Amino acid sequence: MSDKNKGLGKAREIYLDSSRRPKDLRAAGKKIIGYPCVYVPLEMLTALDLVPYRTCGDIKEPVTEADRVLPHSFCPIMRNCLDCALKNKNNFLDGMVTIHSSDPQEKTARIWESYTHYPYFHFIDMPITVRPEALEYFKGQLNDFRKTLEAFTAKKLSTDNLETAIKSHNQQRVLVRKLYELTKTSPPRISGTEIVQVVKALTSLPVAEGNDLLTETISEVKNRSDGPDKKSARLLIWSSTLDDTDIMQVFEAKANVVMNESCGGVRAYRGEVKLTADPLEGLADYYLNEITCARTFRQATLGETRKDYARDLQSRFGYLGGTIKEWKINGVIMLLVRYCDPFAFEMPSLKDYLSSLGIPSTYIEYDYTTGALAPLRTRVEAFVETISQ
Amino acid sequence: MYFAGVDIGSTMTKVVLLDKAGNLLSFIKGPTGPEHRQLANEVMRQALEQASLQIDDISYIVATGYGRLNVPFADRQITELSCHARGVSILFPNARTAIDIGGQDAKCMRIDNGRLVNFVMNDKCAAGTGRFLEVTATTLGIKLEDMGDVSLKATKKIQISNLCTIFAQQEVVALLSRGEKLENILAGLHDALASRVAALARRLGIEPDLVLTGGVAKNIGMVEAVKQNLGCEIFVPEEPLLTGALGAAILAKETHMKAVRAGEALPTKSRRLEKATFFSQEYR
Repeated sequence: MSDKNKGLGKAREIYLDSSRRPKDLRAAGKKIIGYPCVYVPLEMLTALDLVPYRTCGDIKEPVTEADRVLPHSFCPIMRNCLDCALKNKNNFLDGMVTIHSSDPQEKTARIWESYTHYPYFHFIDMPITVRPEALEYFKGQLNDFRKTLEAFTAKKLSTDNLETAIKSHNQQRVLVRKLYELTKTSPPRISGTEIVQVVKALTSLPVAEGNDLLTETISEVKNRSDGPDKKSARLLIWSSTLDDTDIMQVFEAKANVVMNESCGGVRAYRGEVKLTADPLEGLADYYLNEITCARTFRQATLGETRKDYARDLQSRFGYLGGTIKEWKINGVIMLLVRYCDPFAFEMPSLKDYLSSLGIPSTYIEYDYTTGALAPLRTRVEAFVETISQ
Repeated sequence: MYFAGVDIGSTMTKVVLLDKAGNLLSFIKGPTGPEHRQLANEVMRQALEQASLQIDDISYIVATGYGRLNVPFADRQITELSCHARGVSILFPNARTAIDIGGQDAKCMRIDNGRLVNFVMNDKCAAGTGRFLEVTATTLGIKLEDMGDVSLKATKKIQISNLCTIFAQQEVVALLSRGEKLENILAGLHDALASRVAALARRLGIEPDLVLTGGVAKNIGMVEAVKQNLGCEIFVPEEPLLTGALGAAILAKETHMKAVRAGEALPTKSRRLEKATFFSQEYR
């Protein structure tokens, strides 16, 4: 058992009680701002000395309150997040920032705003495509975000502070990728389950503390002798959200998950924000263009999807091809969260892309509960059996 | 040298015993019931009795199905998908596609060189599975095993629009109160279920020969409906419930033989026929 006060042990503790540190910080006079999605530019919060805290749902919590105000058949993650908010589990927050990364999030934002009473609330209307006009629009949105933040904190968001914040968050991205370097070996030196705990900790801590945790973790993992066992397959999981260790263990019972391509894994950390004269420019570019989530529409050549399908696939999924090669991945699981339309509709193309690489893939669906895992387990095990014969 | 396959499905528990040459010595089918965690030892005991064998005679045991983790004396767990594929290919060497419709799952499997190469399964809900027929049989006041024969007497096809088990029930009740004939309703139900299974199979791609297994394959009305929906010949084993357990026993034999050839000692579990304790302890 590792030390609870540093590295992997600390990450596990934070994973199990993610609001403890924000609550302590609040007691010490800091302001805590919640956000439900990795598309919110955290640099702007950090630069104003606000502490960002990702308000995930609680996968083990049955949804009750949210069902009073919303229909059942939509994104279970947003339902769950809102449910926790309505049950006052987030009452240590001083504010909330939501973003139009998906429709359920946009719709939920209004309910969130009117049914909870945080001193600060802001909604960023993020465009859905990567076209140049969209980038301009998004920059304008970030400017509006700056204004409400400045009004709330009664401080100016200076270029210097923002640059410093960008550098810290960039450092976090570099460190997460360094951590993922340690899954390249066979067996990996760190499990997918442990990385879920680390990423959860990062999204529950101020950036500097997160970076310290990462530095400790990386050195601990490099020197450990109690790493994961070698399993019969090396998997990449592609999902909107895989942020729960019980779900991860369904995969890791039979395989090594060496890449978690979701916002509970590597997604928010794949690249870095460019330092531009107007820092908002670099931020807008990173969050719109560099984060690869199915919510964003990408097309290689305008109006030429059919003619240029291979190129189109490459422009949408090329980043996965590189990962599959470098990490020697021999199977991909497309893990759908029920009702997540953007990911469901992206699936046929991704399957085509993976087939073109000769990589077996399968899709399984879950509804963001840990209730009925047996059917999930059967599908995962059968897939691992087919690829490791 | 003997081998066993134990298939604990959501509805039925099956055991197959094979000898060294792969000959069938005995098999048992019984309802899984709510006590399935404690039943594996009982069905195994019956199968052994039938074959006049002792548990210590069994060289290797593979467990499969939803309850595969609840067989404390099994040496290895393999999913029912791999086991069905293996079992089907033993019975039908030319089989390239298998559809298994069980109590709570419908699975389509592609087979190559006798092995599972790809599969699709129904969503988590029980629509499109044997449960759908069970539930509607109750509503219609007809025995499950009579459904197929009665449905073949249909004079017209009724469209059942809703495939959700619960909603389809409501639709059936409405049809009954409209005075619709039982056989016509049954034919409609079979067609509805078959079209759903066909859609699943098409997602995977069908290559002949196609084999239909699982409890639902015992229903002649369903076999006909699947045939019509897919427009191809269908083979059904004599004992369509047993392919999973058969595959498990074959895989047990192959695992054992491979180890023998390689001169490796294969770890096996205690051969005591005891009740399973707790799920997660067995699993980790």
